[in-house]
Amino acid sequence: MNVPGLFHFAFSLRAVQAPPWAGWVLRKQQLSLPSLPLLQAARKRNSLNLLELSEAELEEQFVRGDGPGGQATNKTNNCVVLKHIPSGIVVKCHQTRSVEKNRKIAREILQEKVDLFYKGEDSDVFKEKKTSEKQKQEKKRRAKENLERKKLFKEMQQLDKE
Amino acid sequence: MRCLTHPLLRKLLSLPAQCVPGLGTPRKGAVLSPKQLFLRQSCSAGPGLVTATDMVNYWQKVFETNGIPEARESSQYIVSFVLGAKTSLDSKSLHTPLTALQQEQIQQLSHKRLQRMPVQYVLGEWDFQELTLQMRPPVFIPRPETEDLVSLVVEEELQKCENSALCFPVPVPHPVILEIGCGSGAIALSLLCKLPQSRVIAMDKEEAAVDLTRENAHRLQLQERIHIIHQDISHSSAKQLLLWGPIDVIVSNPPYVFHEDMASLDEEILCYEDLDALDGGDDGMRVIKTILALAPSLLKVSGSVFLEVDPRHPDMVEHWLQAHPELLLTLHAIHKDFCGKPRFLHIQKQSS
Repeated sequence: MNVPGLFHFAFSLRAVQAPPWAGWVLRKQQLSLPSLPLLQAARKRNSLNLLELSEAELEEQFVRGDGPGGQATNKTNNCVVLKHIPSGIVVKCHQTRSVEKNRKIAREILQEKVDLFYKGEDSDVFKEKKTSEKQKQEKKRRAKENLERKKLFKEMQQLDKE
Repeated sequence: MRCLTHPLLRKLLSLPAQCVPGLGTPRKGAVLSPKQLFLRQSCSAGPGLVTATDMVNYWQKVFETNGIPEARESSQYIVSFVLGAKTSLDSKSLHTPLTALQQEQIQQLSHKRLQRMPVQYVLGEWDFQELTLQMRPPVFIPRPETEDLVSLVVEEELQKCENSALCFPVPVPHPVILEIGCGSGAIALSLLCKLPQSRVIAMDKEEAAVDLTRENAHRLQLQERIHIIHQDISHSSAKQLLLWGPIDVIVSNPPYVFHEDMASLDEEILCYEDLDALDGGDDGMRVIKTILALAPSLLKVSGSVFLEVDPRHPDMVEHWLQAHPELLLTLHAIHKDFCGKPRFLHIQKQSS
């Protein structure tokens, strides 16, 4: 997911377009045991203090169609679309070829966006972004200064020669 | 091609000729070579230059014209693969002109997909949980649902350890696991990775599967902890499988498709995958029953059997177990897959 787009995303994703794929099956998931490790992984990641998401607030979609699933199907589309119902924020993840990994990553990204949505500038996500932007700008400024210094040095060398 | 000789396929007379690559009618729809197509129109990177985006769009159209399912996904996976990525490309890769070799590679792979070869066989690899595994026809391709089967086994083992108040600190699970029908080794190798102290006995009745599991085990450096046997569970005795003593967990994704449903499977499956890995007989229960009948003589007390099944099976298995009380097996839990279908059974051996 594009980090620079983080700010725009949280506020423009509320208008959710119907996806272009055919055969959508919308499911209100009463998620069974395997999902618990997914959320726990999201919570433990990084040292960021983020709002916890509960599975009951989430709605997950997969492009599986109405087919029988399991052995009887061999579809390769492992895209996960995850919606946080209270805020309306939706995250789409197709980063890997594993459904379980995509589900984990989708929860991590959604958790960041939800945290940003509710906490705004108080969110650790926002603060971390600000810090890294500052560091980038510092780097640029220093690089620019170095270039100017080198330029000046060269000019002075030229003057010395003359 | 293997699918020509499979007895089930011969019976399924309604299969179209194009199921068999190299035989029958040529595919409908013209397949322009990328060069021809691109000479007619300037590409996004300038005339004569082909980018990854151009390729994805081009092959998507070709697949659609030829009725290949998941046209866009197939095209994305193939192009990403040739450029060294998994599912998609960053914006730089998308707009960089492709080399002639890359275009050639994409074309070769796409032609396989045009023959309805599953993407996983086209690429020769696929991912399962954290692992990338080699894939080769006709060895059964792991399905995404089965990732949850692995998670269930891991959770159970971690839970057992936490529950046992025998020692402090909390012990690490070191179970002996038996996998029946290991295929490419997806379940066995995932479990070995997630339970670093576990050992697995993996068996399959097909030599190709045994070879592929062995290859994947070596690639992942897990060969020391897995024992792979070329064996049919229907012709196995408990003694042959107790080389490491009584077993903690039996796990399997056995063939569970109802025989009458086999004919309606996609061409990708019918033409390229081993149908014996799918066909579970009239009620889809043939191999399930074989496993459950053998389980009591293999399992430790309170040992578990984890099975992936058809959504119709949970009730059927429960009734069958009730009809065979001598097995001392109970249906402990039914778990749903990520589509909300009852998919996984947790069966436990009771103490006598």
